[in-house]
Amino acid sequence: MRVREPRRPVPSSSPTLSHRSEIVQLCATSSEREPMNTPAPRRRTPRIRSFAAVAALGLLVSACSVNDPEAPSSDNGDGNSTFSIAVGIDPDTFDPAGQTTTTVSNMVDYMVETLTTVDDDGQVNGKLAETFETSEDGLTVTLGLRKGVTFHDGTPFNADAVVSTLERITSPDVKVPLGSPYKVIDSVTAVDDSTVEVKLTHPSPGFLSALSVTTAGIISPASVTADGNTNVNYQKPVGTGPYVFGKYTAGENFSVTKFADYWGEKPYYDTVNFRIVPEAATRESLLLAGQVDMIILPPVSDLKSLQSNKDVETLLAPSDRTIFISLDFQDPLLSNKETRQALNYAVDKQAIVDNVLFGAAKVLDAPMSPSLFGYCKTGSYDYDPAKAKQMLADSGAAGATLDLLTPSGRYVQDAQAAEAIAGYLRDVGLTVNVSTSDFPSFLARVNAPHSENTVDMHLLGWAPPYLDADFQMQMFRQATHPPAGLATSFYTNPQVEQLLAQADVELDPGTREQLYCDASKVIWDDAPWIFLWAQSFPIVHSADVTGIGSTPTEKFDAIYAHPAS
Amino acid sequence: MTGTAAHIVRTLLLSLITLLGVSVLIFLMLRVLPGDPARVLAGLNASEEQVAQIRQQLGLDESLLSQYWHFISGVVQGDLGESARTSRPASAEIAVRLPATLILAFVATVVGSLVGVTAGVLAAVRRNTVLDHVVSSVAMMGVSMPVYWLGLLLILLFAVTLGWLPAAGSGQPLSIVLPAVTLAAFSTALVSRMTRASMLEVLGQDFMRTAEAKGAPPRTVIIKHGLRNAFIPILTVISLQFGALLGGAVLTETVFGWPGIGRLLVDSIGARDFAVVQGIVLVYAAVFILLNVVVDVLYVVVDPRIRY
Repeated sequence: MRVREPRRPVPSSSPTLSHRSEIVQLCATSSEREPMNTPAPRRRTPRIRSFAAVAALGLLVSACSVNDPEAPSSDNGDGNSTFSIAVGIDPDTFDPAGQTTTTVSNMVDYMVETLTTVDDDGQVNGKLAETFETSEDGLTVTLGLRKGVTFHDGTPFNADAVVSTLERITSPDVKVPLGSPYKVIDSVTAVDDSTVEVKLTHPSPGFLSALSVTTAGIISPASVTADGNTNVNYQKPVGTGPYVFGKYTAGENFSVTKFADYWGEKPYYDTVNFRIVPEAATRESLLLAGQVDMIILPPVSDLKSLQSNKDVETLLAPSDRTIFISLDFQDPLLSNKETRQALNYAVDKQAIVDNVLFGAAKVLDAPMSPSLFGYCKTGSYDYDPAKAKQMLADSGAAGATLDLLTPSGRYVQDAQAAEAIAGYLRDVGLTVNVSTSDFPSFLARVNAPHSENTVDMHLLGWAPPYLDADFQMQMFRQATHPPAGLATSFYTNPQVEQLLAQADVELDPGTREQLYCDASKVIWDDAPWIFLWAQSFPIVHSADVTGIGSTPTEKFDAIYAHPAS
Repeated sequence: MTGTAAHIVRTLLLSLITLLGVSVLIFLMLRVLPGDPARVLAGLNASEEQVAQIRQQLGLDESLLSQYWHFISGVVQGDLGESARTSRPASAEIAVRLPATLILAFVATVVGSLVGVTAGVLAAVRRNTVLDHVVSSVAMMGVSMPVYWLGLLLILLFAVTLGWLPAAGSGQPLSIVLPAVTLAAFSTALVSRMTRASMLEVLGQDFMRTAEAKGAPPRTVIIKHGLRNAFIPILTVISLQFGALLGGAVLTETVFGWPGIGRLLVDSIGARDFAVVQGIVLVYAAVFILLNVVVDVLYVVVDPRIRY
C-alpha cells in the first residue's frame, strides 16, 4: 500500500498556536501593570540609531536578489543542467525493499529498475527481463534477462543479481513492508548468466505484475556490503537506472546524477533535484516563482487557477486509489442490504467531486479503479434522495444514528468530503456524527477485530501497488478481515469468495478478467461500501518543460523531461 | 560570584531529576497513544505476521519495564536507539536537524529582540503619540496573525511577485530571511509590548528625574538609566520566547520547508517513531534547562543587585 502524502492543513493544536495564547495572557497582564499615573515624560526623545540600522538592513536585503545556485533547469556553460521537482515527503528509506510511500519509490525508480513494468491497461511488459514465461502449471516462471546492462558500481547485471535481490526481499532478516506478493517464491535459481528460474509454492497470476513494484527493484549484489550499506540497513541504492544516487540532506533535498553507462535512452538533465517541501501552498509558490520546474500535489483549491495559468501545465493523472465509506457489514443495522444501498443513493458523489475536491477525482462505477486489470464497468448509484428515504423506511432504518470516522489530511479533502457526505445522509433523515483522528489512531480503530469494532462507517482509501484486481479484492474477502488485513467492512459473500478463489489460480487472462468482473457485480449489488471516487494525482510543471507523464500508481514519470522546443 | 556558581551547579544537578521525569513521561505518553508503530511502519497492506515480525524487530513485544530500561540505559550511554522509520540511529537523525532549528530560532530571537526593544522604547518615550499607537497596532497584528498565514503572504510577495528571495529550503544564504522574519513577527510584537510597559514603569521613577536633572544627555538617561532598569522582565520574555520558538517553529519549518527538528518531531509522531520522539523531547528539555541557567547568569550581569 502506498501511503499518499499528507496534505497538511494548519494543525489546529500546533505548539506555536497553543503557546501563543499563553503569551497573549502574559502580555495582557504586563500591560495591566502599566502605571496609570505616570506623568508622561515631556521632552525630545533621542533618535535611536538601531532603528535606522534595522531599516538599513531591510534595504540591504531587498536590494539583493536571489542568485539561485539551485535554479531550475539551469544550463550553465559546460552543459550542466538540473531539473528540480518539489515533493512533500521526506524519504524514510531509499532501500527498494523498504518502500511504503509512493513518492519515495518514485525517487528510487530513478536509480533502481525492475524486471517488468505494467502499462496503463494493466498489461505486463519486460524491462530488465526481456522475456518472461509462466509454465503450464503456473509454478515456474522463467525470466530471460537483458544483456549488456551494468550497475552504477560497474557490477554486471546478470542472473546472480536477480537471484540475490529476490532472495533478499524474501529473507526474514530484511524489513519488507510490501513483501506479501513475494511470499509465493519457493526458490530462485540462475539457469545460466541471463536466465533465471523462479519456483512458486502455488500459481500466482499477479506475480509478474508484482515484479514491477519498486520493492522488487534489482540492486547490485556488491553494493549490499559497500559504501556504508548493510543487508538490513541499505541506504544508498545501486541499481541499473538512468540516474545515480547523489546527495541526500534530511528534510531538505535529494539529488541524483546522470549515469553515463545507462543501457537505455539517456535522459536530458544531468542532475535531478528533489526538494522536500511539506506545505502544498509553498510548493505551488516555488513553481510560480520559477524556483522549481515541477511539483506534485498543489493545493486542490488552486487547481482551477493553475489550469488557467498559461505559464504552467496541470496534469490530473488518474490514480488507482479508490476512496470509499466502509460500512460495517456485520452491524445489526447495516447488515441489511437495502440500508446499505440506500446510503449509496443518498449521496451526490459528483457534486462532492466538483465542489469539495475541485474536480480532482472520478466517481466510481465499479468496486475498483478503471486502471486495474480485471476492471469492468459495473453499475451506478445515481443520486436519488427520495428513493433513499423510501428504502430506509422499508428497511426500518429511517432516522437511525450512525457514526462516521474519517482521517484528516491523508486523502484529498478527506475530512471535508466526510462532512459533505454526512450532510447528504442527514438530508434523508439520518443522524450522523462525524469524528476524525490522526492516521495511526484511526488505523488502530478500524483495524481491530469485529468484536472490538467501535465504528459504524469510516472513510478509507485503497491503492493497489500494482495494477491488478487481486490486490483490490482483498477488501472483500473474509481472509483479510481485520486484524489479518484491512477489509474493514467485514464483508463476506460465499459467491464472491468462490469467484475470487478461482481467479487466484486462473492463468488464462480472459477468464480471470471475467471472474473479477462477475465478482465486482455481486459486490456492487451488496454495497459493503458507499462507493465514492478514484482520486486524481495532480502534477503541475512549468510550460518551459515537456515530456512529463504519470503512471496510475500515483507516480510521476519525468525521467525524460526536457526543455520545450 | 561563588553564590552564583553554586546556584548553577545546584540547578544542573536538579535538572537531572527533571530529565529523568521527562523521560518517564514521554515514554509512557507514547505508549498510551493509540496506533501500533509496527502496523504504521508495515503499511496498510502488510499481513499480521509481517506486523508481528516488525514488532519483534522493534522490541515492542517486550514488557514496558524492560523497554524503558533499554531506553534509559541507552540514553545514559548516549544511545537514543534506532529510528523505526529510517533505521538510522535516532541521535544521528536529531543531530542532522537540530542546527537548522537552533539557527532559525536564534536569528528570529535576535531580530525580534532588536526590533521589539527599539519599538517598545520609542513607544514608551513617546507615549500616547501617533508613534505609540502605530507601534501598538502593529504589535497587535504581529501577535494575532497566524504564522502560517503570514508566511504564505511573505512567500507570495517576496518570492512569487518580486522574485527576490527563495520561497523554501535552506540551501542559500538568503533562505533564512523569510522564515526568520515570519518567526520573529510574534516575538517582536511581544517584546515591544513588554518593553513599553516595563519602560513606562521605570520612566516614572525618581532616579530618572535625578538623572535628567544632573544634566545627562537624554539618550544616556533613556538607555543607561531607563532601559537597563527595565530590562529584567524584557530579558525574561526574550528567553521564554527563544524556548517557545525552538518548539514552536514547527509551522514555520513546514511552510518554508526548513529542515528543522520541529518537522522531524511531527513526522516522527505521525509514524509513531518512538526512539526519535523520545530523543527530541529529551533534547528540548535539556535545551530549556540550559536556557534557564544562562538567563539566571544574565540576570546577575544586568542587575548586580541579584545574588543567588
